[in-house]
Amino acid sequence: MKKLAACTWLCAIAVAAFALFQIKHEVKRLEEALTREHRAVVANQEAIHVLKAEWSYLNRPGRIAELAERHLALQPITVEQIVRFDALPLRVAPVPESEGDNAPLDPELEAILASMRKRQ
Amino acid sequence: MSEDQHITAQTPPRSVADQLPAPQRRFSLDGTIKLALETGRTRLLVTALVFAAAFLVVGARLVEISLFQDALEPRLAQRTIGGGLETGRADIVDRNGVILATTMPAASLYANPRQIDDPQAVARRLARILPEIAPEALAARLGLDRSFVWLKRKISPRQQYEVNRLGIPGLYFQRERERVYPHGALTSHVVGYTNVDNQGLAGMEQAYDELLRSGIAPLQLSLDLSIQHILSEELAAAMAEFRAIGATGLVLDADSGEVVAMSSLPSFAPENVGSASADARFNRASLGIYEMGSVFKIFTTAMALEEGVVGLEDGYDVSKPIRVARFTINDYKPKKRWLSIPEIFIYSSNIGTVHMAMEAGTSAQQSFLAGLGLTGTPRYELPEIGQPLKPSPWREINTMTISYGHGLAVSPIQLASAVAAVVNGGQLKPVTLLKRTEGQPVEGHRVMSPETSRKMSWLMRLVVRHGTGRKADATGYMVGGKTGTADKLRGRGYARNARIASFVAAFPMDRPRYVIFAMVDEPKGTKETHGYATGGWVAAPVVRRVVERIAPLLGVRPRPPDEEEGAEALLIPVNFKGTMFAAQ
Repeated sequence: MKKLAACTWLCAIAVAAFALFQIKHEVKRLEEALTREHRAVVANQEAIHVLKAEWSYLNRPGRIAELAERHLALQPITVEQIVRFDALPLRVAPVPESEGDNAPLDPELEAILASMRKRQ
Repeated sequence: MSEDQHITAQTPPRSVADQLPAPQRRFSLDGTIKLALETGRTRLLVTALVFAAAFLVVGARLVEISLFQDALEPRLAQRTIGGGLETGRADIVDRNGVILATTMPAASLYANPRQIDDPQAVARRLARILPEIAPEALAARLGLDRSFVWLKRKISPRQQYEVNRLGIPGLYFQRERERVYPHGALTSHVVGYTNVDNQGLAGMEQAYDELLRSGIAPLQLSLDLSIQHILSEELAAAMAEFRAIGATGLVLDADSGEVVAMSSLPSFAPENVGSASADARFNRASLGIYEMGSVFKIFTTAMALEEGVVGLEDGYDVSKPIRVARFTINDYKPKKRWLSIPEIFIYSSNIGTVHMAMEAGTSAQQSFLAGLGLTGTPRYELPEIGQPLKPSPWREINTMTISYGHGLAVSPIQLASAVAAVVNGGQLKPVTLLKRTEGQPVEGHRVMSPETSRKMSWLMRLVVRHGTGRKADATGYMVGGKTGTADKLRGRGYARNARIASFVAAFPMDRPRYVIFAMVDEPKGTKETHGYATGGWVAAPVVRRVVERIAPLLGVRPRPPDEEEGAEALLIPVNFKGTMFAAQ
């Protein structure tokens, strides 16, 4: 009976020791992983930081204006180009098919087109 | 004790006592043997107790560490992720979050001269990488009998690579932090700069030095970078066109007092402060004080209307110049007739304005200007603040000259904030360079009635529509403003050919939201302006172009011309060239 008890205890100790050993190594491994991750996070944060500064630098308004002038066929918007929604003319009624492209346009639309041609 | 007995009972018989009955056996154990046994047992017991206590302590500590100190690990895990990157000095951003100043890692090169055998050769090779330092200076430093000398603070990554490639022993790098300004000269007067040890020396860098050094969260300014760019660009264009020595401008939110743009030209690169001239480092918008000229007629007219000494239908005969002591006050372009108050304002008549100021009186003028914050030192974030220059004593002649903007010198930021108070309904709002919470009304203090403010807004609109400020009329945005041209002080008198041309405006005038100020320092007339270098010719066009470009960005919707006129006709009766043209 006593031998059995001693045996059980010994086994328990062995199992506990093994488990402890295992856990210790697992923790160590996890800690190393955590440190690695931390380093990666800090490195990435630094990279993001530098990239943000670079982004701000590349977005200098003067540079953007120059690039837009060189590469885009766009110009700053003028007041005449801004129209309120309710100032728009009503939609033109559908034109009968037979007349095709030669159909006379709505006079209001015609006026707008004429003014646009003039501006060009 | 019972265990003891047990052991004793189990002991095999060894002596005479063994044959005796039990009581005698117990007796026989008395003496030295029993004493030795007792001593041994006590010692064992004490040792066992000590060990048990020690194990208990270890166990308790184990439990404490493993169960109750678990906060340690999450802290470790969250430290870098949660709080953002620790750089030692927080960023400065504009109102939209664009970075204006940030801190970046940089390497600094130092040497241990004791480890360097041939300073001349090393200096020669280093000089090729660091061209800004003379080889002789490098050699002298490398030849010192010391174990540490700085060679160059904060070198570029490329230079670091090149130095590493040389492979010279005795050269080392120190990792440091460097302040970087992506937008350089565009915002340098507001943002300021730091020294080599990252301590703020000017601008917001100085004003919020402690906060920037202790925090991670960026400092958000009220500036809008795109508007700042537009303002600077247009001012620079005007400066070049009129061969001026400087220019400055402001865009102010009339309701919140936020400075949306502040530009002072010439400007400087904050990384390279050392080589910038004192003139470039000087913030004309905040530190500079100027006699603003006719722009001050806004305040004189507002005061006269507020005090009730004149109404809009009143007027003065401006055909005769005013002579006081040895001074003669005359008009720039004299109108030899009676002018109504709106006409006096529209034509910028000095004589009429002086009459208004005299009728209100010196003390009324003093208290009105003080209420607008024009005679005290303004208080806001920047450390560079100009103190107004006011006459002492304030005589009657000063009242006269100040009424049209001579004799009292104020900074542009003061002027813009006072004009904001005139047009925003009569409340002086504290000026700030920090972004305010949107939608939260700002406490101001009342300096005039809403009625006077409304009248002034429309008088300013009339200046742009019919008067001296016609070149500032940005179609659709209902710009209102006032021109100003002032001769600069030279010694004890005024210089005839050196002047300040300015224009202060607000838009849209039916409900002014933004105040714009533009000033060109010592412009020279050109052929296109027929030799004129006045506020109306020089600064007003700047304001028009700025309004046209920034209004869409600020979300101000343009109106078709007919609607603009309709709104205007509702307003004030104006006697213009003898006829009433804008009856109520």
